[in-house]
Amino acid sequence: MRLLGLPLLATGWALAAWSLWQTRVPDGLRPPKLDTARVFEAASLERAETYERFLRLDFVVSQLVLLVVLALYAWRGARFARESAAGRIGTGMLLGMIGLALVWLSQVPFRLAETWWDRRYDQTDAGYVTTLFENWFALGAEFLFISLALVIVMALAGRFPRRWWIAAAPVFIGLAALFAFVTPYLFPTEPADAAVQADAKRFARAQEIEPPRISVQDVSDFTDAPNAFAAGFGPTRRVVLWSSLLDGRFSDGEVEVVLAHELGHHSGNHILEGLAWYALFALPGTWLIALATRRRGGMGRPAAVPISLFVLVVLQLGSLPLQNAISRHMEEEADWAALETTRDPARARGLFEKFTTLALADPDPPSWATALLDSHPPILERIELAEAWRARR
Amino acid sequence: MVTDDLRRSRLTVFFRLLLALPHIVWIVLWTIVVIPAAIATWFATLVTGRPPAGLHGFLSAYIRYGAHLAAYLSLAANPYPGFTGEPGYPVDVELPEPAPQPRWQTAFRLVLALPALLVTAAVGSGGGGGGGGRGGGADADWGFLLSGGGILAVCAFLGWFAALALGRMPNGLRDLGAYGIGYSAQAYAYLLLVTDRYPNANPDAAGPRWSLPPHAIDVEVDDGGRRSRLTVFFRLLLALPHFVWLTLWSVAAFLAAVANWIYTLVRGRSAAPLHRFLAAYVRYSAHVTAFATLVANRFPGFTGQPGYAVDIAIGPADRQSRWVTLFRTILVVPALLVSGGLSAALAVIAFLGWFAALATGRMPDGLRRLGVIAVRYLAQTSAYWLIVTDDYPYASPSLRADEPIEPAAELHGEAAA
Repeated sequence: MRLLGLPLLATGWALAAWSLWQTRVPDGLRPPKLDTARVFEAASLERAETYERFLRLDFVVSQLVLLVVLALYAWRGARFARESAAGRIGTGMLLGMIGLALVWLSQVPFRLAETWWDRRYDQTDAGYVTTLFENWFALGAEFLFISLALVIVMALAGRFPRRWWIAAAPVFIGLAALFAFVTPYLFPTEPADAAVQADAKRFARAQEIEPPRISVQDVSDFTDAPNAFAAGFGPTRRVVLWSSLLDGRFSDGEVEVVLAHELGHHSGNHILEGLAWYALFALPGTWLIALATRRRGGMGRPAAVPISLFVLVVLQLGSLPLQNAISRHMEEEADWAALETTRDPARARGLFEKFTTLALADPDPPSWATALLDSHPPILERIELAEAWRARR
Repeated sequence: MVTDDLRRSRLTVFFRLLLALPHIVWIVLWTIVVIPAAIATWFATLVTGRPPAGLHGFLSAYIRYGAHLAAYLSLAANPYPGFTGEPGYPVDVELPEPAPQPRWQTAFRLVLALPALLVTAAVGSGGGGGGGGRGGGADADWGFLLSGGGILAVCAFLGWFAALALGRMPNGLRDLGAYGIGYSAQAYAYLLLVTDRYPNANPDAAGPRWSLPPHAIDVEVDDGGRRSRLTVFFRLLLALPHFVWLTLWSVAAFLAAVANWIYTLVRGRSAAPLHRFLAAYVRYSAHVTAFATLVANRFPGFTGQPGYAVDIAIGPADRQSRWVTLFRTILVVPALLVSGGLSAALAVIAFLGWFAALATGRMPDGLRRLGVIAVRYLAQTSAYWLIVTDDYPYASPSLRADEPIEPAAELHGEAAA
């Protein structure tokens, strides 16, 4: 039965993944190969490459340090159980939170280095103290989340020591769905002005969806970097534009491209697709954690928590190229939707070029960096897609 | 030293602040002279290694006088104090003779005294041992009574009503106020170079034998003072799940308390299941408070089970007065005010303890014991409010479960130095 079940599950998984991988970007599209030196000025290119090179190094070293810290914690962390009088689950929560605290501590130097670098390249106004303490609220939320996750896992593992992961995965998928649903309400925003709202209505009609709410988030206190995102699903759908996008550096036409791109995420159901991808990874992920922690008595025991954190981070890092590939795939589809909606590749190209000159995005990063770090296609590929759209017409 | 008999003259209590006006003017003038005297003492001690006898005597008299005035203003004592700081007042402090002091400690005295002054702001008047000692003069002295900050101010405020009504100062309030005065005197004696001994916040080590009558809600301590630096550094974040859970539990506890109130009014005792539920809630909130404020080390459980390092012992449901139960929400108000003062002290304990525990891996004993006393009082107040017991919270600054001491007896301790 097991011999039959595993291939069946794998086939079902592969079919679901194939179905999710489907895209509105036409097959057989052959984007022209552009030369970065012809698209960008040498100075801009040099500046963007230098800027990103340091951040890549920072990322790689920080992840190595993270792995070492969590490996040490997996090895010796169980000793912190003596600091608890909270019983099985409470002690597990404490060990989870301590693990998170160590992760946070280990990343402090890299965050400070990143701030130093961003300030050097005028990408942030945030000070070092702000960098350290601003994150405490987010860290508090993470502490609460890991506590809740461990309550669920350890309670289930106490009841079903070997099969807890089958029940835990759906619970986590439900929590992820809840989080995605309420995300638009988690940060303060203002409604966008009437002109932007009117554009959004027009584009939403073109993409055959109900227009979502369009909001603006004021980020002027900590960054000049431009950004926008789509959040929520169903009645909570929203597009959020950062105030940095509307500060006059981008033309109305370029803002329209951004708007159409974010609406493309909604018309492509990318939030729900992201949840579906999460669901596909949750089951094998929890199973692997269950497998890895069996030597420590399973997830029902607090001593297994440190090693489970290590395995979780290894799995996350290991699946990073795949996660980024999925994300880039969705972003490409949203770019295509924006081109189909605005029908103006020149504006799209202008916008992408500014991402390099203003936000210092390396237009053509090394492939390993794209695989590990880039949730969006490289700028040069996005420009090539715009040119491909123009060529198709 | 406390030799107060708790009796108060209603007339002088009613006009206490007005009667103290000459003293307030006098201490302002005295403070103006004390500032240059303290600077001169500092230089002399730096050079010779000991404070000059004349200046030492002057500063000691100032500290004693400040303690007398603070005791008079806060109703911790009854007689009108003298103006010279002579020993013999019912709430008095003993100060040491001039002795050699390490020069490096003298050099950094102002900085070293800051934590003690912070504790003084919480447990004393802020002006503390010297009523005007913080240099704020009369405004400062009035300020501590009117601002509502500091345990001594709360004791004075509540004591005023109690003494007017009863002609006596409640023993617990008097003791708590006297402890605040004593600690403040220690802090100012240290600051003004009268002694190099650092103030000890442990009420049982640095005060007289305070009274501690039996109470239905008591504290049990099994904590050696060791602290894990990592969990200390992230203490508030680690306590977040407990804060969330405590908030949720508080909603249920409120509803249970209402049900318990009605049941107790009818039957004259709590319903056993409600009593157990509310007792667990009281214990749990004490555990969380102790953990969050570094009074205890280990991560507490979520169910309020007995056995935590700083635990609250609560007996089974007992008979309760229906009258006291009927007016419980009004009667608890004074205890809530004292709880507010002690909560502020707990915040200071947590703040200072955080640095100390990070540096040494231990919680300073005095702060820890003061914290336990605060946790006990908060638990007694919760238990009283939630109809777990009708024993009124007792504000003793002691952890010693000795037999009660007669109020009129002379109570000696090591007072200030």
